[in-house]
Amino acid sequence: MKRRDFLKLSGGATAGAVLAGLGFQNLLVHALPTGTEDSGTGVPGVPSWANTICQQCPGGCGVRVKLVDGRAINISGNPLYPINREGVCPKGISGLQALYDPDRIKGPLKRVGERGSGKWQQITWEEAVATVASELKALRQKGEPQSAVFVTGQVRGLMVDLFSRFALTYGTPNHIRHTSGIDGSALPSYLLQGVRQQIAYDLENASYILSFGSSFLEAGWSPVRQIRAYGILRQGKAGSRAKIVQIEPRLSMTAAKADEWVAINPGTDGALALGIARVILDERLYNESFLSQHTVGLEDWTDSSGQKHTGFKALVQQNYAVDRVAEITGVPVETIIRIAREFARNRPAIAMAEQEVAMHTAGLYARMAVHCLNALVGSIDTPGGTVLSMEVPLEPLPHVDKDAIAQRGLSFPRLDRAGSTEFPLAESAYEFLPEALATGKPYKAKALFLYYSNPLHSLADSARVRKALESVPLIVSFSPFPDDSTNIADLILPDHTYLERWQDDPMLPVTPHSVFGVRKPVVKPLFNTMHTGDFLIKLAQASGGSVAQAFPWKDFPAVIQHRVQGLFKARRGTIVQTEGEDAWAQQLAERGVWSPSYASFEEFWKQLVEKGGWWDPSYRFGEWSRVFRTPSGKFEFFSQILRERLVSLSGNQGLEALLKKARVEARGDLVFLPHFEPERFVGDEKSYPFHLNPYKLMAHGSNQPFLLEILGPQLNTRWDTWAELHPEEAKKLGVKDGDSIWLESPLGKIQTRAKLYVGTMPRVVNIPFGLGHEAGGRWAQGIGVNPNRIMSGVEFDRLAGFPALFATRIKISKA
Amino acid sequence: MARWGMVIDLDKCTGCQACVVACKVENNVPVVNAEEAAKGREMLWIRVMPTVEGEYPRIKMRFMPVLCQHCDHPPSTKVCPVGATYKNPEGIVAQIYPRCIGCRYCMNACPYTIKYFNWFRPQREEIQQNYLNPEVSLRPKGVVEKCTFCHHRLIKAREQAAVEKRSLREGDFTPACVESCPARAMYFGDLDDPTSTVSKLSKSSRAFRLLEELGTEPKVIYLTEGEWHGSVGR
Amino acid sequence: MEVLGDKDFQDEALLRPVGHLGKGFLLTVTILLGVVLWGIYAYSFQVRHGLGVTGLDRPVYWGFYITNFVFFIGISHAGTLISAILRLCQAEWRRSITRAAEVITVVVLFIGAANILLDLGRPDRALFVIFHGNLTSPLLWDVVSISTYLTGSTIYLYLPLIPDIAILRDRKARPQFLYRILSLGFTGTEKEKKRLHIAISIMAVIVIPIAISVHTVVSWVFAMTIQPMWHSTIFGPYFVVGAIFSGIAALILAMAIIRRAYHLQEYLKEIHFNNLGTLLLVMALLWFYFTFAEYLTTFYGGEPDEMAVFFAKVRGPYAPYFWAMVVTNFVIQFSILCNRKTRTVAGTVIASSSVIVGMWLERFTIVVPTLVNPRIPFPRGTYFPSWIEVSLMAASFAMFILLYMGFSKLFPIVSVWEMKEGREVSVAETAERVRTYLPGESEA
Ligand SMILES: Nc1nc2c(c(=O)[nH]1)N[C@H]1C(S)=C(S)[C@@H](COP(=O)(O)OP(=O)(O)OC[C@H]3O[C@@H](n4cnc5c(=O)[nH]c(N)nc54)[C@H](O)[C@@H]3O)O[C@H]1N2
Ligand SMILES: Nc1nc2c(c(=O)[nH]1)N[C@H]1C(S)=C(S)[C@@H](COP(=O)(O)OP(=O)(O)OC[C@H]3O[C@@H](n4cnc5c(=O)[nH]c(N)nc54)[C@H](O)[C@@H]3O)O[C@H]1N2
Ligand code: SF4
Ligand code: SF4
Ligand code: SF4
Ligand code: SF4
Ligand code: SF4
Ligand SMILES: [Mo]
Repeated sequence: MKRRDFLKLSGGATAGAVLAGLGFQNLLVHALPTGTEDSGTGVPGVPSWANTICQQCPGGCGVRVKLVDGRAINISGNPLYPINREGVCPKGISGLQALYDPDRIKGPLKRVGERGSGKWQQITWEEAVATVASELKALRQKGEPQSAVFVTGQVRGLMVDLFSRFALTYGTPNHIRHTSGIDGSALPSYLLQGVRQQIAYDLENASYILSFGSSFLEAGWSPVRQIRAYGILRQGKAGSRAKIVQIEPRLSMTAAKADEWVAINPGTDGALALGIARVILDERLYNESFLSQHTVGLEDWTDSSGQKHTGFKALVQQNYAVDRVAEITGVPVETIIRIAREFARNRPAIAMAEQEVAMHTAGLYARMAVHCLNALVGSIDTPGGTVLSMEVPLEPLPHVDKDAIAQRGLSFPRLDRAGSTEFPLAESAYEFLPEALATGKPYKAKALFLYYSNPLHSLADSARVRKALESVPLIVSFSPFPDDSTNIADLILPDHTYLERWQDDPMLPVTPHSVFGVRKPVVKPLFNTMHTGDFLIKLAQASGGSVAQAFPWKDFPAVIQHRVQGLFKARRGTIVQTEGEDAWAQQLAERGVWSPSYASFEEFWKQLVEKGGWWDPSYRFGEWSRVFRTPSGKFEFFSQILRERLVSLSGNQGLEALLKKARVEARGDLVFLPHFEPERFVGDEKSYPFHLNPYKLMAHGSNQPFLLEILGPQLNTRWDTWAELHPEEAKKLGVKDGDSIWLESPLGKIQTRAKLYVGTMPRVVNIPFGLGHEAGGRWAQGIGVNPNRIMSGVEFDRLAGFPALFATRIKISKA
Repeated sequence: MARWGMVIDLDKCTGCQACVVACKVENNVPVVNAEEAAKGREMLWIRVMPTVEGEYPRIKMRFMPVLCQHCDHPPSTKVCPVGATYKNPEGIVAQIYPRCIGCRYCMNACPYTIKYFNWFRPQREEIQQNYLNPEVSLRPKGVVEKCTFCHHRLIKAREQAAVEKRSLREGDFTPACVESCPARAMYFGDLDDPTSTVSKLSKSSRAFRLLEELGTEPKVIYLTEGEWHGSVGR
Repeated sequence: MEVLGDKDFQDEALLRPVGHLGKGFLLTVTILLGVVLWGIYAYSFQVRHGLGVTGLDRPVYWGFYITNFVFFIGISHAGTLISAILRLCQAEWRRSITRAAEVITVVVLFIGAANILLDLGRPDRALFVIFHGNLTSPLLWDVVSISTYLTGSTIYLYLPLIPDIAILRDRKARPQFLYRILSLGFTGTEKEKKRLHIAISIMAVIVIPIAISVHTVVSWVFAMTIQPMWHSTIFGPYFVVGAIFSGIAALILAMAIIRRAYHLQEYLKEIHFNNLGTLLLVMALLWFYFTFAEYLTTFYGGEPDEMAVFFAKVRGPYAPYFWAMVVTNFVIQFSILCNRKTRTVAGTVIASSSVIVGMWLERFTIVVPTLVNPRIPFPRGTYFPSWIEVSLMAASFAMFILLYMGFSKLFPIVSVWEMKEGREVSVAETAERVRTYLPGESEA
């Protein structure tokens, strides 16, 4: 905003008015827009509270919304909810600015001008349903239902299921989810433990945490839960204080709050993990009994055909001498040795690595290597170690029938090639979508549906993404906000915001316990928006055929009610309650008593909605058959699953061809063992000497001024993007703090402010992700820059389908 | 009479700034724009202050949430020419917005630089007025504001206790920032009550107060970061 | 009064400017009025939008306005204090300069006080200071001492003005009614004269402590806080010395302009400038002594928070201001005023102009660097005034000059009757007095 406009806004009062009166007239809030719903107490001006689930990030916290006259006036944590127990994060509170965002889309819109021109025509919801239904029918009639693409972003639960169901019965294999997210996270446990589920960490009870990149105090899967655990590890329990070691190229908030920051060359975590393993093995610091009882592949072994195979131990001892590891990683030899000893001696210890270790060209192997450290010290399925979350017992959705057209459509390969020889282990390869759309191979996409997804902003190489999107004749966005991609859509069918709608929230399996939350409308929808779930049901019913049959419900809440019957019938767990009550229930449960607070489903539902959710506070350790579903029933250092998958996929093409395509350098047994492969960077080291390290801030959220105002607490930065340079490097470049600089990669360049930061590795440039939107509202637009504009989208960890987000090199010049 | 105070455990605090936003929402603290923020005119009654020590790669960075320290000897109140800021009998340092003449003397006298001035008339889109807290008065331009220890919550809690015919108990009155803290790093209560959590924590060997040497007698007490005493890797 | 029909009346030149509005005068007034009007516009803009239109920020909550406030209040010491001291010491050379000095005080006090108003976020509530005054606030002490000073100085200006007003009344000068009312029926009888003398002497005694208190209290606005490089015990005398220093400089400048514009070379002679120049030099030395003492103790103490401010001044972002201050307030004074040959009208004018700049810089480097470097290192601020503040500073100066000029057109800027008295009575009296100082003479 220009200063003049600001003055215009702020200076409503005239000089006279100021000089008159003593300012009392400004003191009380009068004439506020009246609420839309008589929720709460109904007594004017008297506050009430409603429980729901936050959705400002995937964290899944229970929140309490304070209501006055139908208006949401505050958000705090739900003290009953086990994920967060009253705490919230700044984003959770800023949800108010999502609900009351002045730039929200107020009803369904149809594009009338050029794409991106911002010229829209209002339509009715009936028209909206009819338009989309006829487009989809037309595709089916032409026999190409596969050309409809559904993208769903960081959401979970029924909405994802319904999109899948729609795609399945409609006849397209292209329901694309975010690989960068949960899918990818499940691979290490899948390959090593045989369970395709994210690894959960029992942080609260750990004595030692070795965190590879997971900046768990700022981002990660459930920030508040992680911060809460941190609080417990810090003075929360008498007599113990866990040590936290944060390994990453940047002194993040997490690294700052850790006991030790270990600066590591980007993309070399696999080597470090293996170096640590080497020390543990050499010094026999491992958990002997766990290794012997529950693992295979540590020692060299011979298979049934008599062929000899390398064991993990031999692999590590042959290849990962500590001094070599030190050279690769930049971590001093003494540090590696010391950390290895501390890690092994202070049990229970956790080694964790999430997406930033994965988002490299050999990310999957690195994550496997880190998880092997857990196995070495016996931190698999132990208190204070790693666990695999208990399942949420939901009622399955009724079976679906696919008609002939659907079956034909489904026989086509996926556009993103997930699960094919190109991305053998991926379930989705969202980041490959731009490539697929742009080339139109193996077939063209005709309709693209974006739910909770903004590829134009969040996918690398923005110019390429734009081109790809422009090639799709119909783009439909369900976003309630005018984000970058929505801005170039053809139809906008705005969803309710999360505070205005019903939604289930089966918690990500990142805690030992199974947790299920219910999101409910705490205020009536402010605008003419529609729940995308309801829209899907209407659309399905208008589409007829097998699609209509698959969606027999009257509306979305009806589907939720169907699902939660499972919780009711499970005869375990409890409606969320106070910690004291939980402890009591726990004691009873240990004596085999389960005493629910409800007798009927109606009561169960009522309490569920009122209190905010259900959970099962018990976790049964040592159910080995549940946590090891590998062929051997054990933890497999040598992944049989990986071998089977690759061998069966490669078919008569041969494994060698597949490995070449997947750009795996290793051959032989090494392919199936965690090992280190050097990063394939975009940009050669000579012309692009710096490594670009984009990261997420706690205050991620661009049209929410509360968050913009608190953006970068480490460097006191706000309302703008900045790039962190090591002071010495900056000096060499003649760059001073606050100078405007160019960051240039082979893809292009962006301009931003330099911040000299001692917490930066010399050859690394850190840049926060989140700003630099082309659209999105008055605050989001026109501030900061989007690193995706210079990040390459061509490199992947091909095995897993992880995009190599951290593989771009850049150079710096003064602007 | 209670003497309200706060304890912030810096060992637990992660600098997440939930407290910062919680306070803004609870107390209708205005948000400024980018240009104003560049001048340091953002208003954060509680803010996270970072400090860095050491040289790469041995760096220690700390975060410290700083709010009005509700000094028992507040340098800020004495200097106000019109008595628009004063210490109330329970030790809460309060502001009377309709009284303030906007001279900013108190801001200059506060050694913690933790008072905020309304440089302009607060800017709020109409739709954003929905989330204004009706329990907290809005400030016009030209006056000074700062943390009130969520005094309005105390008033409510006391009314509630009166209705229930009992005296105020620990936990009846929790400021918004304390309530939000995901790390549970903040504690609030009566420093004069020897059984309260805050008074126990204030006697901890880790306890210190900001600029203690100035004799301002802050009622916000910090606990230093702890150290790891595990089995070392030797 | 006896002037009328007084054949020997030699001071016609002093009365000539009164009521006479020349071309140059009108032109100057027009320009100055323009500046003032612009200032009024700037202020209305500030009131409409809020103090955000200034360059102030967090943590620099005070800037130009408060600097100007301290500066102008400092200038005010020119008049009353110097005049009172000279009167009490019976320094005969004072006769042609006391009036010019006293007017400065009265006029500039208004300007100083106005700058406080400019600084208020809620000027509409300014009177709360009276209704809700809080006795522990140094700002309230300021209000009290400045208004007392203003009253005292006005009386002190007015008393010696009465005989001259009577002259104007008798000369049928216009506006007659004004002179009639203000002359209080003074006719110049011996009794009246005697009473007047007594009253003037009493006021002279009274205003000295008030004047000193004023600037002491102004300094306490800063010194009573515990902020680095504000919390200083010598701030009282330091500020008073600075005030007198800048006051004398202002007086010299005013005299030089009056002398030129009203052709009063006969009355405001080289000797006056020489004497005031000497005084200026003394003050420069005193000022340097205080400055040195202040900065040395700070430096020696080495307290980190104090040192942050110290270094901001001596080698940080405020070093240009600081060293310019040292040059203008000391180096230049020392090099010009030490030498009798350069202590001329031109020399003292140059020296005084430099002091005006220097003392303004001194006030600025006291107010701002401390605020920029608060004890809690976040945030560190910067300060650069906006056009509003610059406009209002210009308007303050313009307003001051305008009022001063206005006064000189209503009343003689050099005291007519005192000159006359000097000529008629004091020459003999002084000769007599000098004799008593000499050995062998009985004390009369
Ligand atoms: N507050 C907040 N929470 C969020 C989100 C958010 O945007 N904001 N987003 C959610 C989503 S979708 C996700 S996917 C998660 C992501 O959560 P995280 O994976 O925890 O977050 P990122 O910021 O992507 O992680 C980047 C970190 O890895 C470091 N890093 C970069 N390269 C390397 C490397 O080669 N090795 C190592 N060891 N470290 C490296 C960087 O310095 C940086 O600190 O967070 C979720 N939660
Ligand atoms: N450079 C860089 N790029 C990255 C990452 C990175 O760290 N660095 N992170 C990657 C990761 S881990 C991820 S998960 C992706 C995230 O990328 P995306 O999944 O595209 O996530 P967002 O950018 O948050 O966009 C989600 C969109 O959903 C819309 N939305 C919000 N609320 C609602 C709602 O209630 N209903 C509906 N229907 N829509 C809503 C908003 O308009 C918002 O723009 O980005 C990836 N890209
Ligand atoms: S961590 Fe995520 S889910 Fe939890 S409060 Fe914050 S934004 Fe909401
Ligand atoms: S909310 Fe708690 S953890 Fe977060 S910054 Fe505030 S005090 Fe620290
Ligand atoms: S912290 Fe500052 S504003 Fe608060 S009581 Fe102390 S001096 Fe006053
Ligand atoms: S700004 Fe207001 S509260 Fe502060 S000293 Fe001035 S009048 Fe008092
Ligand atoms: S106590 Fe209340 S007013 Fe003070 S910082 Fe916390 S939330 Fe803000
Ligand atoms: Mo993600």
